[in-house]
Amino acid sequence: MPLDIPCPTLPDDGLVVFLKAECPTCQLVAPLLPALGATVVVQDAPAAFAGGWDDTALALSFAADIEVVPTLIRRVGGREVARTYGWDREEWRRLSGDAALGEALPVFRPGCGSKSREPNVHEHLVARFSQPGIGSRQVAVGEWDDPIEACFDRGWSDGLPVVPPTDARILRMLAGTPLSPQTVVGRMPPDLAPLTVEKVAINAVMAGCKPDYMPVLLAAIEAALEPVFTLHGIVCTTCFSAPIIIVNGPIARSIGMNSGINALGQGNRANATIGRALNLIIRNVGGGRPGELDRSTIGGPGKYTFCFAENEDDPRWQPLAQARGIAPGRSAVTLFQGDGIQGFVDWKSRTPEELSKSLSMSLLAVGHPKLCEFFNAILVLSPEHHAIFADAGWDRARIEASLRDNLRRPGTELVAGAQGVGEGMAPSRAGDMVDKFWPEGLLVVRAGGAAGLYSAICCGWSGGRFREESQPVTKEIIA
Amino acid sequence: MRTDDSLLRDPTAEAAGLARAPVAAPADLRAGTVALLDIGKMRGDEFVDRLAALLAARGFRLKRWKKPTNTRTAPLPILQEIAAEAQAVIIALSDCGSCTSCSTHDLNDLDQRGVPGVNVLTEEFQDAFARQCGSLGFEGRAVFVPHPILNRTTAEIHAIAERYLEAILAALGSAEARRAA
Repeated sequence: MPLDIPCPTLPDDGLVVFLKAECPTCQLVAPLLPALGATVVVQDAPAAFAGGWDDTALALSFAADIEVVPTLIRRVGGREVARTYGWDREEWRRLSGDAALGEALPVFRPGCGSKSREPNVHEHLVARFSQPGIGSRQVAVGEWDDPIEACFDRGWSDGLPVVPPTDARILRMLAGTPLSPQTVVGRMPPDLAPLTVEKVAINAVMAGCKPDYMPVLLAAIEAALEPVFTLHGIVCTTCFSAPIIIVNGPIARSIGMNSGINALGQGNRANATIGRALNLIIRNVGGGRPGELDRSTIGGPGKYTFCFAENEDDPRWQPLAQARGIAPGRSAVTLFQGDGIQGFVDWKSRTPEELSKSLSMSLLAVGHPKLCEFFNAILVLSPEHHAIFADAGWDRARIEASLRDNLRRPGTELVAGAQGVGEGMAPSRAGDMVDKFWPEGLLVVRAGGAAGLYSAICCGWSGGRFREESQPVTKEIIA
Repeated sequence: MRTDDSLLRDPTAEAAGLARAPVAAPADLRAGTVALLDIGKMRGDEFVDRLAALLAARGFRLKRWKKPTNTRTAPLPILQEIAAEAQAVIIALSDCGSCTSCSTHDLNDLDQRGVPGVNVLTEEFQDAFARQCGSLGFEGRAVFVPHPILNRTTAEIHAIAERYLEAILAALGSAEARRAA
């Protein structure tokens, strides 16, 4: 159906035909046009057809919602009463009233796609010739100004160039979710400003996301805004932390996330931009800008982006999302309040017992070796390290239990002042055996390339000491 | 028709104006060097001379830079030196359109390098300053002095510097000037 857009420049009565020179079917019908008396609207090269109207801007094609060329339209009294696509001799004869039209031509030839329907074009046309339905303030950039610099000038960037959020790009991004642009997904700290799907899309554009990342980003936002995630504290803290996003399930593969070589590093668009979009939203919508309400003493690179997918290619490993209650085959995000990484290198352990002890030595250092039941952590097991456990028949539960046992320490070593170090736990813990982590406080995930006896530790933030108040959050992704 | 990239949408919560606020002024202007950036416009040096004398007499540590021309933005080395050496900048004296545009770009550039500043312009260019700040998306600080400058005597230019000194210091956040105001 034609869009409800006025099309005043077309004649009120008569035939109109939409063509493009590069279409063979358009060339086929061209000899018929002079006798038809049709208005000829050309999408690419007006001079290629006698009397062709210039519609290289595609305004008329957009207004008439042309999907195929040639399209023949009959208009009566300013309204369209009939149309046909391609070359269909009987239809052209019916619309034109010329019973002998095109006798020398074949009965039927399909048309070509309209230029107004080529990939990425439609959103530009909506932005130019229609009401795009975007409510955010419009910001005009000077004719000679660079829009990327304009984004820097306005303080919208995390320090790296952002993609200018134009209407066409925003419309494309919004197509990545069925949610209405006006849907409020929550209030973003620290300003607790309403966050609409439209603002999510604008910041996703700026971060460099593709539209099909939107379900992951929206799930990450939903998780981040769960009160128990304490995003407000994460953003404003003097600690290092930012949201770390771990993606599980089929969507990770379908949007091309990296869970293999360099999974925690650079180079993958989805990994890089989903995490970046969340941090840009915190900055731009929430007002969490460094030096203002983001008071991180030292900060960390994770404040740009820290997002990766779990490597689920070994059926012996239970993925994190399933361990946290998500049904197999479903996709999920887990958000963790952390920073890092702290590299873990062990080239020599050959048994699971050895490796568990070895890992525990490094995990004890999370936050501070004398602070236990205080910081949460992520342990990213590389496939080679995981294989040492898996080949011995150790599953997730056994690995976690062994680490917990190896990470239990006598309180006498941990209390403030012990070992000549002021930092430490309350004196009342001196008689206890103390776990390094809360039972649910160590998230073990599997990621990285097949080769390399290297694992990684991501330290949680200091708010993790309040076990009930600050916890990682997992949300199913509804695509 | 405008190109698509010339119209953007605001990614913020729109709780504040579109423009970027300038970096905060230093708590104590005397704790570091104050840069005096002479934009190179005729007669402007007489204004800056007097300003420098007045500030020095008050115990401010100063360093002067001068642009080779008022009709271009400051050369990069000057901007880099000011950012490296100064904790605040006074830019003077704009009394024409190109001066205003270029000096406001300099103000914006230095602000993004972390150096708060004030631009001193003549009253005729209040609108031009506002327009340039608007297109930069920047809430620049300015002090406007009487127009014109070119046909005044040196004594008159010095008198203007004396009259607007407090306003310049107040714009830079001088606690002493705020109290005086």
